[in-house]
Amino acid sequence: MTEILAIYRKEMKTYFNSPIAFIVISSFLVITNWLFFDYGDYPFFAINIADIRGIFDYGAIVLLFIAPAISMRLIAEEKHKDTLELLVTMPITDMQIIMGKYLSTLVIFAIILAGTLVAPISISFVGDLDTGIVISSYIGFFLLGATYLAIGLAASSFTRNQIIAYIMGIVSIAVFFLMNGMANGSGMIATLFEHLSVRFHYQNFFRGVLDTRDLLYFISMIFVALFVSSTALSSRKYR
Amino acid sequence: MIDVRGVTKTYGTVDAVKDVSFTVEQGEILGFLGPNGAGKTTTMKMITCYMPPTSGSITVDGLDVVADSMGVRQKIGYLPESTPLYEEMGVRDYLNFIADVRKIKGSTRTQAMERVIQVCGLRQVIHKDIHELSKGFRQRVGLAQAIIHDPEILVLDEPTTGLDPNQIIEIRNLIRELGESKTVIFSTHIMQEVQATSDRVLIIDQGKIAAYGTAEELKASIAGQTHLDMVLRHADKSEFIESLGTMSAIHLDDVILQKNGDLQASLNVESGVDMREQLFDLAISKKWKILESSPSAFTLEDVFRKLTN
Repeated sequence: MTEILAIYRKEMKTYFNSPIAFIVISSFLVITNWLFFDYGDYPFFAINIADIRGIFDYGAIVLLFIAPAISMRLIAEEKHKDTLELLVTMPITDMQIIMGKYLSTLVIFAIILAGTLVAPISISFVGDLDTGIVISSYIGFFLLGATYLAIGLAASSFTRNQIIAYIMGIVSIAVFFLMNGMANGSGMIATLFEHLSVRFHYQNFFRGVLDTRDLLYFISMIFVALFVSSTALSSRKYR
Repeated sequence: MIDVRGVTKTYGTVDAVKDVSFTVEQGEILGFLGPNGAGKTTTMKMITCYMPPTSGSITVDGLDVVADSMGVRQKIGYLPESTPLYEEMGVRDYLNFIADVRKIKGSTRTQAMERVIQVCGLRQVIHKDIHELSKGFRQRVGLAQAIIHDPEILVLDEPTTGLDPNQIIEIRNLIRELGESKTVIFSTHIMQEVQATSDRVLIIDQGKIAAYGTAEELKASIAGQTHLDMVLRHADKSEFIESLGTMSAIHLDDVILQKNGDLQASLNVESGVDMREQLFDLAISKKWKILESSPSAFTLEDVFRKLTN
């Protein structure tokens, strides 16, 4: 645990010593809030309903671009600057390195989530907001972001180029996000794709439903992605 | 202390290191010499647990680098080639991070920080960011992270590459100082460095050990020859090479036509024979002018060139 926290603290310092954290947090909040309040066929002020689902609908798309931007540097930068060599020869396991780095991205995402609270809090003053749905939506959105970030981290651990990590991250997340649209009909493959897709499991949270299957889906996605990252780090041993 | 036995490392189909065996005793400084791409870095990466050998075994203080990887890592301080550091961090932050990962806590940490700042001479830069530092100071920060846990063994991959002559001497002195209490393996392609700092020398070429012993032993291994450096004016290169070909006691090592037209030749002469008179007579007959003629003993550099050419 000490090792994980050591890595975590180092990553947080890097995020906040540079403009990275500020840029990703503010970009997400500005774009998402703008889309929610003021964009599209049904902007919040026009439809006049105390519902914040738009935040999470638009947020899921904006996050598709923001999450890989947070995680792209994690391993790729260490590879590019050769600092990884020093890191992996210290008394720390590859999994601990991955966990420490992942933890730091979760905290950045938690700060983003805290920033979105402005919408439900202000809306609750002017309308009747369903608190249960808000809470389950936030849980769903946190799990969604956590999954994106884990996939982004996995993308980062395969390359020494941050741009490649970013694009690979977006593409892999998009595949899982859009998977339910890839097969039509009711056949076995269509059902499989649907159950593997992020969107399918994500939607239940907005109805105020916390289904163990959905929780399990996101948690297993995160574990698989972290395992893949750690394996990619260890692959130096089998070359 | 370090026991490398029959180690081979294969990348794809290429053997980067082939059946290499050597030992380093406690408190010894081993100079690791070889041309670029010879397998120095690969060998060091295996000792420091970056990657396991394809075959063979490496033990550090009795611990196997594969089976007891974590134990080995605690005993070793490693400075990789080109000194990778986190540019955006401050020097103190960086050393604190290394101490965190290595679980150095409380008063031990305070003492360790004080010791590395002292030993590596970091006092004046401790509040700076790493990207602001000169190459020499970066190298010292790299050494500081390698010794912060007071390891028994130091593995330094080309610690003086890219430094200016003064910095080289400083780092070299630092290595020698550290070598008084620690076992050190360091790699270089500078001969004087090995002669100046190490107890034993290991020359590696194309993944194989070309020579292994003290500097004196290695020099003695090519005894039986002496060296003669000459500079000639008005001499034609091909004619010179041809004429020397008739003298059986002389082996031409190198001939360079200098910019001003002078010929600079380096000859290996069988020992016990003084060829200078014959060469003088040859020069007279060909109307060459000998500007310089100086016999010298073999240096480690000659051993290196002879073994790795």
